[in-house]
Amino acid sequence: MTWLPLLLSGLAVGSIYALIGLALVIINKATDVVNFAQGEIAMFGTFVALSALNAAGLPVIVVLLLALPCGFLLGALLELVFIKPISDGPPLNVLIVTLGLFFMFNSLAGIVWGFDPYRFPSLFPTEPIAVAGAAVSPASLGIIAVTLVLMAALYLFFEHSRYGTAMRAASMNPFAARLMGIKVGRVATVSWGLAAGLSVVSGILIAPLTFVDQQMMISIILKGFAGAILGGFTSLPAAAAGCLLLGVTEAYVGTLATSTLKDSFAFALIILVLMLRPGGLFVKVARRKV
Amino acid sequence: MRTVLPALAAVASALTAPLFLGPYGHYLLCMAAIYAMVALSLGLLLGLGGQISIGHAGFWAVGAYGSAILVQKLALPFLLSLLASGLLAGLVGLLVALPALRVRGHYLAIATLGFSLVIVHILYEWDGLTGGRQGMFVSRPSLFGHELGSDFQAYYLILAVLALFVWIVVNLRRSLGGLSLSALRLSDVAAQSCGVNRAGATLFVFALSAAITGVSGAFYGAILGQLSTDSFTLVVSLSFLTMAIVGGLNSVVGALLGGIFLAYAPEVLRAFEQWQMFIYGALLVAFMHFLPDGLASLPRRLARIGRRGDA
Repeated sequence: MTWLPLLLSGLAVGSIYALIGLALVIINKATDVVNFAQGEIAMFGTFVALSALNAAGLPVIVVLLLALPCGFLLGALLELVFIKPISDGPPLNVLIVTLGLFFMFNSLAGIVWGFDPYRFPSLFPTEPIAVAGAAVSPASLGIIAVTLVLMAALYLFFEHSRYGTAMRAASMNPFAARLMGIKVGRVATVSWGLAAGLSVVSGILIAPLTFVDQQMMISIILKGFAGAILGGFTSLPAAAAGCLLLGVTEAYVGTLATSTLKDSFAFALIILVLMLRPGGLFVKVARRKV
Repeated sequence: MRTVLPALAAVASALTAPLFLGPYGHYLLCMAAIYAMVALSLGLLLGLGGQISIGHAGFWAVGAYGSAILVQKLALPFLLSLLASGLLAGLVGLLVALPALRVRGHYLAIATLGFSLVIVHILYEWDGLTGGRQGMFVSRPSLFGHELGSDFQAYYLILAVLALFVWIVVNLRRSLGGLSLSALRLSDVAAQSCGVNRAGATLFVFALSAAITGVSGAFYGAILGQLSTDSFTLVVSLSFLTMAIVGGLNSVVGALLGGIFLAYAPEVLRAFEQWQMFIYGALLVAFMHFLPDGLASLPRRLARIGRRGDA
């Protein structure tokens, strides 16, 4: 049963990618841009969470529960201040603004908290538990569980709630949605909030396994982006599936090769997939006919 | 007259600026011209062709290492190696353009990023040729056997090549090829039904853009004197994209201003010490809010404000 711990740790890493990947897709649906600052928002939120833990002495679980609403406020505020005023301009300009936010958050974290890595207390028990004769880390199980709960909540929200349906409508056809009385501008703010909330949760989930420092999310946002593209950037479930697949594939390749080779392998694979299926693995591109 | 006078002034100041500066000033001027080539190539790809790339550091690396290896190992003259590095990067550009025939937008962004990571990884692992982790030394640029020992001399060679590229790009924008690219960007269906060859045009613009960036990379290595794969990361690709857009994608002037911005912004911001990167980020945000068409649109904006003042 040596495959089970490997599969679970792959799925756990894939879950972190998936939360970031989902955040990127949600923002892309609303603002038509890849938010390069997504990882830095997560990193910044994780630092704030760590300070709340140390200064206010809040229990870890409370901080995890607070992450989503606090992240939401931060994301919504960023959208209102930085994105909304230029959202009518070219999408590339919005992209550069997210790069600007990347630098601002990245250096602000360094200025406030310094450049040394911090330890983050474990959210889950650290003793491995035996499942079917294999030692499994509870942290992996916990990360997968939290992610699954969030994904289920997102699914219910987008498919079965009134506001979720309005958000989907705004993304499909903003003009028609506006005619139906949906405030399309507010949808963008909510999307940024939702995305920031999800990414702060992902930062807090991964923090105990790595360290909290300024650079903690840089490779993760790349993988989240790549995984979402692999699955299909236009669909939330496809993007999440692509991220999970990327996490598992990396875990298996990682046993055979060095970590830099692992990255190159992942990207070579993605290019190959895009050549064969331009819309991602799980999304069928409608053929355009003239 | 209105465009000729500023152009003459710009050429004159580019030619005379080194006379008033020290060695470090010469080095920065070289870098600004080298970056301007990359901004020019991105303006071509993105502004004219409408194709995104966040992997231009990969082409830069191919040019830099290609030229350095040809000079070092095969003792090729620098000018020939410059040409060869352009061709080599152009060929790699063709390869990267293959996904561009199938995918666009964010998918293309990831594909170009993936290519550049793989290219740089290959260079890193190919120890015998590139020095791998230690990196490699690069000889100074030379002209017909004369070594251009100082950056002052090298600057004029770089400026000449930059002028050549400017001439090519300006003419391409006005040519039938440039107009077809423009048409493809605006509506590929309409363009194709008018007989524009989409595959050919896409491959061409990627290859040309990569080739210009490759030549720029060859100069970069020769001016720096040494190469390591740390100079070709994603951050570099992203800062290329940033400078092209901050300068302005739709004009040659924008590319030149973008190059100057990327070379000088870190120098100016150094005084702010630890706030340096924060202010750089804030600058990007401010530029996009107040100058959405880039630095190149500044005179037009000022003129409009001036007119409003008169009224």
